Amino acid sequence: MQYTRGNVWELGGDWADPILWYARGVAAMKARKLAEPTSWRFYGAIHGIDPGLWQQLGYLSLSDPMPSNADVQRFWKQCQHGSWYFLPWHRGYVLAFEANIRAIVTKLGGPADWALPYWNYFKPNQYPLPPAFASPNWPDGQGDNPLFVQQRYGPQSDGNVYVPVDQINLDAMTDPDFTGVASGGSPGFGGVDTGFEHGGPVHGGIESQPHDNVHGLVGGGDPDNPQLPGLMSDPDTAGLDPIFWLHHANIDRLWEVWQQNPPANVDPTDPNWINGPGNIGERVFSMPMPNGNPWDYIPGDMADLGKLDYTYDDLSPAAPAQPGQRLLQFGASPEVVKAIQGAGAVPSGKNVELMGANQGSLRISGGEAGTSVQLDTGVRRKVTASFAAAAEATEPDRVFLNLENVRGLADSTAFQVYVGLPQGANPADHPELRAGSVALFGVRKASLTDDEHAGKGLTFVLEITKIVDALHLGNAFDVGALDVRIVPVRPVPENAQITIGRVSIFRQGR
Amino acid sequence: MTPAVRERLQVRAPLLLISAAAWTLLVVEPGGMTMPVYCSAAPGAMPPASLDLLLALNPPASLAAGWALMLAAMMVPLLIAPVRHIRDRSFAQRRIRAIVLFVAMYGAIWMAAGVMLLAFALAVRLVVPGSSVPVALALAAMIALVWQLSPVKQRCLNRCHAQPALAAFGPAADIGALRFGLTHGIWCVGSCWVLMLLPMLVSGGHVAAMAAVALWLFAERLDSPMPPRWRFRVPGKAVRIAIAQAQMPLHQFTRPQAAK
Repeated sequence: MQYTRGNVWELGGDWADPILWYARGVAAMKARKLAEPTSWRFYGAIHGIDPGLWQQLGYLSLSDPMPSNADVQRFWKQCQHGSWYFLPWHRGYVLAFEANIRAIVTKLGGPADWALPYWNYFKPNQYPLPPAFASPNWPDGQGDNPLFVQQRYGPQSDGNVYVPVDQINLDAMTDPDFTGVASGGSPGFGGVDTGFEHGGPVHGGIESQPHDNVHGLVGGGDPDNPQLPGLMSDPDTAGLDPIFWLHHANIDRLWEVWQQNPPANVDPTDPNWINGPGNIGERVFSMPMPNGNPWDYIPGDMADLGKLDYTYDDLSPAAPAQPGQRLLQFGASPEVVKAIQGAGAVPSGKNVELMGANQGSLRISGGEAGTSVQLDTGVRRKVTASFAAAAEATEPDRVFLNLENVRGLADSTAFQVYVGLPQGANPADHPELRAGSVALFGVRKASLTDDEHAGKGLTFVLEITKIVDALHLGNAFDVGALDVRIVPVRPVPENAQITIGRVSIFRQGR
Repeated sequence: MTPAVRERLQVRAPLLLISAAAWTLLVVEPGGMTMPVYCSAAPGAMPPASLDLLLALNPPASLAAGWALMLAAMMVPLLIAPVRHIRDRSFAQRRIRAIVLFVAMYGAIWMAAGVMLLAFALAVRLVVPGSSVPVALALAAMIALVWQLSPVKQRCLNRCHAQPALAAFGPAADIGALRFGLTHGIWCVGSCWVLMLLPMLVSGGHVAAMAAVALWLFAERLDSPMPPRWRFRVPGKAVRIAIAQAQMPLHQFTRPQAAK
């Protein structure tokens, strides 16, 4: 049977049939006990669980019978973040969850081809939370709508839930490299080559934007206690929010869209990616299925959505790559650019090196914060030289801003980052200088010294190639330092203890 | 080969080569300058008559050289992750300098720890009759076992995974590399000290004991940090990887059925 995932905003009404069936399925899973592998909370714990946080949020009580140790070891705390397994693991996770909901739907007499809707917040006027998720009531007015979540606070943490489209982007869709590096350069479209990684420090391109940002913007934080996240804001609670699955269906759709641009965009061919971490002795990706059996899968099984009998109702390109456009602005002839466009996007250079860094750590508290990134003259000249060589159709360097060792207690923290903003300038007046938006999805866990991240925190990589290109073309790149300004989406409370260990700039070239 | 694998190799290959060279020296010259006399005393031999005689047989310079070689063999492979962090986060022209400073400070901490560990090993030789050295070894092994199970050990091990932000320019960069070497060295000593003591107390098979300890230290460093508590700790990830590698040619991954 063929399954088609549809746009939640275009199904024919706030409570169109696929949404109503989804709600019934969610209600049935929520009615099951935590110890049952196909229960709602068990599925949330597969993504991640922090028992203390779950108790604080009312999702776990001391009287809850726990699953067997074998089930916990096999299934819980599996989500892959900061890893090239991010996309395939989540595809399997969503497929398995969807199969469980579908089993309930069909049992209740619903359609056998029911499929999970997706939420494409990028589409015009589709940025608000779909209404069925925003109301505490079922369409008949009864007040126990399972799609509604109290702990979903929105970008301003005021209960108004939407995705501010100026804070998300699809820049990662033009990255021709699936696999990136954790050394300061591009983390790739799909992430960095790792083993089983339940939360690596450097997130891949599509994982950072829009994935992480939508998590933080939708979830927000408890306005009465900012250290308490909205469910979506923290990886250890995100899977408990029914909107999580529609968000991840959209991320999954974007992977499928990215793949539509061969030969430039191809998944890794490395056996370690195809066969997954289980093949080298690490944990196996495994999901509990409706028949009670575990389903083990490998990334290689996930790469082709068609072979899984799935598709989406809309796979139109999000932001078509325009290879060669950079060369044109640096003086390459149109003939040369045309030849490059025929060949697809040019993969990134291999050499990644530090170009500059600030001094000391940066504390984010309250409103804006700023620092100055001092540049090494020699490395900056290498970048300039690569621009000059672009006229001969040599791909110029890419440049990346790194926010290293970001630590803190509030995953709901989100901020925008500007580069080269003049003193006193209003950031809103200079969208061209915005390096990107950052959501600290996973920062609390990554900051614990005695947890799996050893307190390293997270490292965010924002591509600032366009900003540097513009500076160069405006003869303004011959500078000793670049100012970086951090503009929080909402004031950062003091007790969130957010710090950036170092702000640095890297070049990636030949 | 992925970009990350290529970057890993750039650090891993030279460090493993250094370690291999040190192991070669240890194996080729087990009775020479690299192996203090206290290590090669036969079981049942009489203990040296005095501290003077013991020191005459084991001059401090020789002890230090032997200890340094032992560190190069056993500890250098543990430095792959921190050295990679320094390499990645330093200016290209400062990478070697920063790594040398880090390793120098890390080594200094271990040399200082070596003074105490060697003094202990020599004291055992001095006061314990040769026939009772195995008893001392058994006692040390028990202490090692308790240490390995303890939350303190886990705490030290967790901090060996720390990767702090590093200053990039001038003296601050040098100080940052030294400070990283200092903290990494302290936690590494905290994690490994008692296991390092064991090979010094065996009466025979010294190099084999060192190799076994080195392998264990490397394997336990592969596991992710975890909350400290009393637990029986085996390097599970290393064991699983070893088993998977051994089975690799025959391994047929069970193909799952697609979830529909």
